[in-house]
Amino acid sequence: MYVAARGGEEAIQNAETLYRALNGPLSPALVEGIERALPYLVDRVMAEGSLYAPDLAALAIAQTGGDLYEAVLLLRAYRSTVPRLAYAEPLTDADLVVVRRISAAFKDIPGGQVLGPTLDYSHRILNTEALSRDVQPEPPAEAEEPAPRGYFSVADWHRLNGLLAPTAKGEEPVAPGELPDVTRDPIAFPAPRAHRLQSLARAETGGVLALGYASMRGFGLIHPTVNEVRLAYADVRLRHPITGVAFSLGRARISACEVVNNMADRLELGFAATLGWNEVKIIAGAMLDMEMDKADAHPAHTEEFVLYHTEAVESSGFCIHYKLPHYVTFNSGLDALRRVLLKRDTEQRKRVIDEPVVVEGEEALA
Amino acid sequence: MDHPTLLTALTQAPAAALKRFADEVLADIRRIEVIENRVGLTMWPMRDPVHGADFFLGEVLMAEARVRLGGEVEGYGACLGRDVEQALGIAVLDAAWRGGIATRRIEEFAADQALIQAEADQRLLRQVEATRIALETF
Repeated sequence: MYVAARGGEEAIQNAETLYRALNGPLSPALVEGIERALPYLVDRVMAEGSLYAPDLAALAIAQTGGDLYEAVLLLRAYRSTVPRLAYAEPLTDADLVVVRRISAAFKDIPGGQVLGPTLDYSHRILNTEALSRDVQPEPPAEAEEPAPRGYFSVADWHRLNGLLAPTAKGEEPVAPGELPDVTRDPIAFPAPRAHRLQSLARAETGGVLALGYASMRGFGLIHPTVNEVRLAYADVRLRHPITGVAFSLGRARISACEVVNNMADRLELGFAATLGWNEVKIIAGAMLDMEMDKADAHPAHTEEFVLYHTEAVESSGFCIHYKLPHYVTFNSGLDALRRVLLKRDTEQRKRVIDEPVVVEGEEALA
Repeated sequence: MDHPTLLTALTQAPAAALKRFADEVLADIRRIEVIENRVGLTMWPMRDPVHGADFFLGEVLMAEARVRLGGEVEGYGACLGRDVEQALGIAVLDAAWRGGIATRRIEEFAADQALIQAEADQRLLRQVEATRIALETF
């Protein structure tokens, strides 16, 4: 059995035309405006689309009328059509121009704390003046001396103070081409750490937040503190294929977070990073990273649960597939239900006919 | 000027200025062969500060070009995004610099661009410094 739609092609075309007409025209100015005016939204689409391309992410937002799941899908689809040309050099602290760096665990971290661009301490009030006139932002204040480009990592500071185990040394660094890669290999559990961190980097923000928040509210086994949050511009460094020298082919926005938990005899860290600036995602992600290491984590915080259910395209795709025609499968279930009802009805009638009538009470006496 | 500094300055130059300059340098070049000029992805690994291992932060869209000048010297250029002309311009300048063509002009252009970038960085970092907080325990 199958179900065919009559006039479907024309209806589908008309539906898309209506969608685009209601969303308004697309133009280079609109795309440039989105890229310029909505950088955090563009960051989110790039991170979840796992492709750093601000103009294309802005285009995806414009083309989908701001439907983020569709925008991420568009970017992932585009990404799958272009070849992989190279592997950049691993991003380290030396490649960062840090614009925001805070710690909630230690007030006196080496290099100090800079708030950078943030609304953390601002009143959240709609600026309704902007509905009737242009509102220009004030020029930012400038100190006499510049902040440092980068900072000594808080985690390394802990290591120097003997609070944290040193990172594994002596192992040969894995060539980038040999790194586990979720875009090419299925994840097997327990996942390699590279798979876990890559999955968190491209995970859907709302999913990461929901599971992270569940841990924070009390379903988790830990109560960590933010060790360090960093927002930065990072040089993407590539090796010149002829001379072999490394150079920067440009800068991209990234964010990274470590959370720290105070154990009986040591500190332990959780970590998450992502393309673009997205603090909610990296804080929740870093907490989930730590939670996933626990032997008896809440079922919603096991590695498989977290990594599978925060995959942006798979989860949204699975959800929206439910609105596509399911007539045959649903009808098959309905047929089974009708058969059961018919059988029950028949058996009941048969029972009524076969069984002797028992009359109770006053009717029996009469 | 060393090679990495030159390449970094060229990739960070505004695309329009770079293309104009590459066009000027091209006037001094007899024969150019474009070996590759395309758009693609570069995988971007990051070092995990917890365990020290690398993982892929994501992919970066890039344009790249490889050229050969005068049948001899090869040059390579790459930049973020999809601008294959920008990548081609960088590759031409790279090949010219490596082949000793217009070396001084190219280095001057790159030095100017590096200075502009450094000044922009300094301004940004002074703005960041203005957001520094000192925390005291009472």
